[in-house]
Amino acid sequence: MDLALQLLFTGIGIGAVYALVALGFVLIFRATNVVNFAQGEFSMVAAYLMVVFAVDLGWPYWLSFLLSLAGMALLGAIFNLGVYYPLRHRTFLPVIIATIGASILLANSVLAIYGPQPQVLEGWFETPGIQLGPVYLDSQYLLIIAVTILLVAFNYWFFEHTMIGKKLQATSQDKEMASLLGISVSTMIMITFIYSAVLGGLAGILVAPVLFVSIQMGSTIALKAFAATIIGGFGDVTGAIIGGLSLGIIETFGAAYISVPYKDAFAFLVLVLFLVFRPQGIFGERVAEKA
Amino acid sequence: MKLTRRDFTAGLAAGMTAPYLIGSARAQGATIKIGMCAPVTGPAAEAGKYATGGAKLAVEAINKAGGVLGKQIELIIEDDQTTNPGIVLAFSKLAAQPDIVGFLGSIRSTQVHAMAPDVMKLGKPVMFGGTDPNLTKLGNPWLFRFRPNDSYSGRVIADYGVKTLGKKKWAVLHSTDAFGTAGGKALTEALGKLEAPPVLDQGYANQSQDFTPVVLAIKQSGADILGSYFTFENDLGIFARQLRQLGVNIPWVGSPSIVNVTALKLAGPALYGTYGVADYAEDSSEGSKAFGKAYRDAFKVAPDNQSSWPYDAVTVLAAAINKAGSTDPQKIREAIIATKKFPGAEGEYNFDDKGDGLHGYNIVRNDKGNIVFDKHIEFND
Repeated sequence: MDLALQLLFTGIGIGAVYALVALGFVLIFRATNVVNFAQGEFSMVAAYLMVVFAVDLGWPYWLSFLLSLAGMALLGAIFNLGVYYPLRHRTFLPVIIATIGASILLANSVLAIYGPQPQVLEGWFETPGIQLGPVYLDSQYLLIIAVTILLVAFNYWFFEHTMIGKKLQATSQDKEMASLLGISVSTMIMITFIYSAVLGGLAGILVAPVLFVSIQMGSTIALKAFAATIIGGFGDVTGAIIGGLSLGIIETFGAAYISVPYKDAFAFLVLVLFLVFRPQGIFGERVAEKA
Repeated sequence: MKLTRRDFTAGLAAGMTAPYLIGSARAQGATIKIGMCAPVTGPAAEAGKYATGGAKLAVEAINKAGGVLGKQIELIIEDDQTTNPGIVLAFSKLAAQPDIVGFLGSIRSTQVHAMAPDVMKLGKPVMFGGTDPNLTKLGNPWLFRFRPNDSYSGRVIADYGVKTLGKKKWAVLHSTDAFGTAGGKALTEALGKLEAPPVLDQGYANQSQDFTPVVLAIKQSGADILGSYFTFENDLGIFARQLRQLGVNIPWVGSPSIVNVTALKLAGPALYGTYGVADYAEDSSEGSKAFGKAYRDAFKVAPDNQSSWPYDAVTVLAAAINKAGSTDPQKIREAIIATKKFPGAEGEYNFDDKGDGLHGYNIVRNDKGNIVFDKHIEFND
């Protein structure tokens, strides 16, 4: 039982990270109908920005955090203008290929600038964690879980109760109709890219103290996050969260009770099962029709 | 004098080919060329910088001392991009140059496996640093290893844990790649011989984000000592932190990655008090100390096994060519195999007929982040 509780906690913690990155995938998919394969690299770039500001320059953690997120917002905007915008009238395939190209460019640029050695980024808290009975709660994972809960609440409020959120929804549902109603579609898409880059960046910064900062960190998380979005239902915000959390729990329990080396295989086995038996995911009926 | 058509053609041919013939004769005569496949780009680019630095340092020292067979050595480096196809391509580029007399391969076993068939076809000596024991059991006479192989590291980890630390309930943890699997197997075999078969033999996939299930398995196994073969420092760092967080504080003896600079930086206090086997330990011999000083003077960073094995490889190869008195591959091979009691940076080289130069390992201890040499364990069989 103690073992199961410990596994559940870490499973939820790592699953929350997948969920945060998955949210970025979903938002861009809803707005543009394309999968942004550079979403994982956004996490990696943000973690490196934190290292530059907080470790190399020694600036205060909160300032470094804000600057890194601002940097991600800028990157999201550049990404929209440089990668998506020129290809927006093409089919989804060239855009997807462009995002893969951009992800390779981002990874190699960071490699060229910073070198291949992984970096250490300290966590937000002095105490690494707390022992609660038989379960050890890592403070960074607690923070990640808390931020994920807050973001889910924020997303709900933002998309359902604010004008800009409703405009974003309208754009994602029908661009032409939204345009006819006087909504600036390109502005809405720009906002989506900026928000997704910030979300991906947030995930990267939060997870960096646990996984360290490395060039590969983005691609490993993004792969799982991508699986999470398919499990949850591509294009569904709640689905991304549920998908991410389930994936984290499944792989942690699978590793503990079945086989450690096949840990990643469990995630993808579940993905294949979903693709075969419920391709629209847990929540994604409407988007499946659209795709 | 009448110029016939035949004279004209012959003159033209001679005139056209002469510069090439003279140039090629001069090229063949001027230097002794050694080719090196190194990760100039890719994930191991940083390590590649150390490796080429070590090789260049040896070339400089040899050239200063008069070179080889009275000629200067020239090092030709090709980028292996840290990939298997990359090293095959890099080696083929070097192999196409007939005046290269010997080569340096990789520190990565999987890459040496990838290039091994081409090495066999070419039939010229190749020095390498990969530690998979199978590499020198391939029956390839042209491969020479400049680090102790993992059958020795496994025996040293087992020997030290059982005899010095007095522990018999082992948990063995290893990566599931070629290096980790071979290392884990060697350690398990060595423990079996010491009548301490592991209570847990656990593999993990590289680039894991979470080691909780592994740590809990170790905890549940009741092991009182841990032996490990980690391939990547990132994995080692995540595991070390989680191991300590979840309250496992048993002694831990790891493969060389546990004491390298990156692992120490990433894991910090989580690795304090652990032991590691290290092929290069600065205080282990006079040769190691001398290399350490020369390397620090030249590059202003601490030396490690990434730079020490290429240094030794170039030094031993040069000495072998001198001894052979020729650049004939077969004669160089015989001279390398005959190399005994050669004091290198990594240790004393005594080559066997399989191509293994070193037969022992150093045990070092992490004393609050400082790596302290403890002892050297050498095997004669």
